[in-house]
Amino acid sequence: MQDANQVSASEEFQRGLEEGQGSPHEAPSLPVGQWLRKNLFSNWANGILTLLGALAAVVALRGVLNFVFSENRQWDAVRTNLRALMTLSYPESQYIRVWVALGFVVGLAGLSAGIWANWGGVSVRRISTWLMGTGALLALCVIVREPSVILGSDGKVIRTVDGSLRRESFMDAMADRSTWWLAAVLLLAVGAALWSRFSDPARRRIEVSVTSVVFVGLGLAILSLWIAPYGHYAYISATKSYVAESGRTVAFSTKMPWTVMLILLSGFFFVGRFFQRGRYLGLVKGSSNVLWLISPLTLFWVVLRDPALDYGHVISTDLPMGLAFGLLGGALLWGLTRSDIGEAGRITATVLLVFAVFNWVAAFFGWYPMLQKARISFLLLALAALLAPNFIGEVAKRRQLVLGWVGVTALVHYLATMINTPSTVELQSTEFLGGLGLTLFVALIVVLLSFPLGVLLALGRTSKFPIFRMLSTSYIEVIRGVPLISVLIFFSVMVPLFLPDGMELAELAAVLTGYTLFSAAYLAENVRGGLQSITKGQYEAADAIGLTSAQRTGFIVLPQALTVSIPQLVGQVISTFKETSLLAIIGLFDFLRVANSVIPAQSEFMGVKREGILLVAMIYFFFNFTISKYSQRLERRVGLGER
Amino acid sequence: MHALLTEQKSGRGAGNRNREGLKQMRKNIMWRLLATLFAIALAASACGGSDSSDDSSASDSSSDAEETEVTLAASGESLLDTIKSRGTVNCGVSGSAVAFSELQADGSMAGFDADYCRVVAAAILGDANKVNFVSLTAAERFTAVQTGDVDLLMRNTTWTQSRDSEVGMDFGPTTYYDGQQLMGRESDGFSGSSQVSDVGGSVICTSAGTTTEKNIADAAAEAGVSIELQTFEDFDTVTNNFISGACDIITTDGSGLVGRKAKQQPDGENWVIFPATPISKEPLGPTYGQNDSAFADAVNWAVYATIIADEKGLDSSNVDMMLTGGDTETIRLLGGEGELQSGMGLPADAFYQVIKQVGNYDEIYSRNLNPVGLSREGSANAAWTAGGLVYAPPAR
Repeated sequence: MQDANQVSASEEFQRGLEEGQGSPHEAPSLPVGQWLRKNLFSNWANGILTLLGALAAVVALRGVLNFVFSENRQWDAVRTNLRALMTLSYPESQYIRVWVALGFVVGLAGLSAGIWANWGGVSVRRISTWLMGTGALLALCVIVREPSVILGSDGKVIRTVDGSLRRESFMDAMADRSTWWLAAVLLLAVGAALWSRFSDPARRRIEVSVTSVVFVGLGLAILSLWIAPYGHYAYISATKSYVAESGRTVAFSTKMPWTVMLILLSGFFFVGRFFQRGRYLGLVKGSSNVLWLISPLTLFWVVLRDPALDYGHVISTDLPMGLAFGLLGGALLWGLTRSDIGEAGRITATVLLVFAVFNWVAAFFGWYPMLQKARISFLLLALAALLAPNFIGEVAKRRQLVLGWVGVTALVHYLATMINTPSTVELQSTEFLGGLGLTLFVALIVVLLSFPLGVLLALGRTSKFPIFRMLSTSYIEVIRGVPLISVLIFFSVMVPLFLPDGMELAELAAVLTGYTLFSAAYLAENVRGGLQSITKGQYEAADAIGLTSAQRTGFIVLPQALTVSIPQLVGQVISTFKETSLLAIIGLFDFLRVANSVIPAQSEFMGVKREGILLVAMIYFFFNFTISKYSQRLERRVGLGER
Repeated sequence: MHALLTEQKSGRGAGNRNREGLKQMRKNIMWRLLATLFAIALAASACGGSDSSDDSSASDSSSDAEETEVTLAASGESLLDTIKSRGTVNCGVSGSAVAFSELQADGSMAGFDADYCRVVAAAILGDANKVNFVSLTAAERFTAVQTGDVDLLMRNTTWTQSRDSEVGMDFGPTTYYDGQQLMGRESDGFSGSSQVSDVGGSVICTSAGTTTEKNIADAAAEAGVSIELQTFEDFDTVTNNFISGACDIITTDGSGLVGRKAKQQPDGENWVIFPATPISKEPLGPTYGQNDSAFADAVNWAVYATIIADEKGLDSSNVDMMLTGGDTETIRLLGGEGELQSGMGLPADAFYQVIKQVGNYDEIYSRNLNPVGLSREGSANAAWTAGGLVYAPPAR
């Protein structure tokens, strides 16, 4: 009998091996008992280690659960301050702006996912193990958590003579947690049903797409807003008191917007899917890239701030200036891309560059006045003129440069005008946006802007042209030799002192600049690591088929180098996101600071700090874990680590 | 032959594809170059775009006229005029001082100091809500005044000789008389009448890097007792260590201790605060840059107005009645004759607005400090008529 079992088990194992050959990541499946014996209890030493490890895990879990559900925890502090944690001072009446901004980002994310993401599938059997695992963990949590403290009729905790707390009996506690039991059993049952239904060889490999799993998961989370009564306490400033709003729960005010967000995400995902096979794919990809670069800045300074434009000034000054730069600059570039331009083009570009740089030097010493926008525009025009030789030739190519220039000018002038216009959103303090909103915006802007800058720096450092190499190397080394916090303090305290009279830099803009420059230096080193992994043969092959150096970089070197550096780049994104908490030191209210110093200072919740910090940690973990999981999938898709 | 033909064909096809591929490539590379330019442009506009122009005659900002005025004011005129033309008072507060300035769940600022910021705004601008609160750390507060980021501080700032002279600050009338005290457990044998000499051998905890640390060390040395001093990052941690028993005694300003006792004392324990006469003097009040008497007078008299109103029994509920029915000083204070306030550059009804919109000293005190257990009676903050130190010169 035992022999027969053994045989069938080894057959199963064989089959598992055969099936496993298709995808190297799926381990051949063994019966549970055998798997345990093979991996966890192969000899007595391993068995003891396994048991000790499991014991340590259970003790840690029990500690965490007792901490979270302790009667001493004041979760009301977090529930009341949800708004402060998310946006701090942003007025509630203007919340539609926050939702619009979020909706735009969510829609764009959906579009990008639709165009690029090909996450493949996950077998139903795998999902069933997730469900069973969750159910088992939930059941374990229910069992190991300490029984609750008994409250007297006056609502106070009952203590025994020696001052220790009186707790209900274990059986009572289990009975009290019947809802959780039900959920755990339900998960286990559904998981087991799926497992048994999909375990015969024919069905074993049935898969559903990861995308649909993600959408169903998000859908369930948002559905819970409609069903579960997540509590909400409102702060009444007139009476300085907190009122539990039984009817108006958190879910009440956010369930509709979140549902819209899900619809936007899935809608744009399918739009992206539609274009994935269409002939406009290039156009859609290009515009979504551009939108990613523009949207955080625009959303922050235009949608959230709602600038009060002075139309007289716009028509008399801003618009003519933008038009002049767009049209005259366009005409100049059109001239510079004539095929008979020769050496004159180079000379013009150099003269322009010298003039543009001189404008900044003059600004520094205050020699002559000039609008900041004009300085930026001249510098950009000089850069465009330097690029012009690449566009010499056919009319279509020349038109590309001119149209590109006009687009860039329009955008820069638009953003500069908007940023300089005062906000109409009525605030009670200088902190325009705080909490998670600030953290996410800073992280998004810094990551998006530092990427192109970092790639340029890496190329500069590996360039054969000594001046580029020297400048990039010294920049990277200087920035990397200085801690982030001192860069931030330098930009928020020192830079304003260096600026000429009358020029000022908003604190947040200063911080964004400093943080972007810092992050770009690290990113450059990651990309350089990738660049060095490209063998000499690749360069030679590119030269052999007659590619220019720009083409060689753009089509041969960078795609391979960036692919190799995915793990480091994702690591950089994660650390950028986490290090936004340093903003607290230079006086901005990121959401860790809200939890750490704003909530404990409210007389209602004096000293209540751990709850908020726990929530903040959970939110950080959620975002970073998601990013990390996504990057793992990406690595697998591009076949990293398998060559 | 046939095979050859096919090969040729396919060869030509491949050549075409190659050429097209290259063309496509060139087109793409240009897009990339443009995109890079674009990214630089964005970065530039993010960094440079928020600089305000240094050419005020053709400024980007729609409020250039106002900015010019601001520059003029900063170079010679009083901050009082700057505030009037700006329309808001920039008030530096702590933002995390329980009952003095706390950021509420809806982002508003509440507390005793915050209300005194409102008093100044009501006096100068006639609207108590025209305050822009700037949360400052202890380290950055004086710099913020010197660079003009804030007009004044209402940030638990103790009036000391060095700050008044070397640091270049001027101090207004004290709004709250604080002093460092100690808090211990009754079960450890401490009582309200304990002295520093009774704490020998105890573990005393306080927050690091403050003068409280030095004060308690000095006091213990003077009393001739040896103590074990432990410091922690902030006072929340200090209190948690006191609750867990790691500290026998904690010490900081009396106002802070009373708040902690009211909110965090566990059932069945009794915390006591001693000695009755604090071991240090901490007069807290408005702080501003030196040598600007017009602004200093406005702030000082706005604070005095709340104190005089308290003396006269004038509060936000009866101020309309007293406008005509009060004694002569009251009527003068509320702008009945009009010359006193107008003479110092304030609207005639400045102090009427203060009392009406924010309240008198007692109202401000009870609203913010009573909920955390700080009472006026018997403390230094009682009116001078009741044995306290709160006193204002006469309005005449």
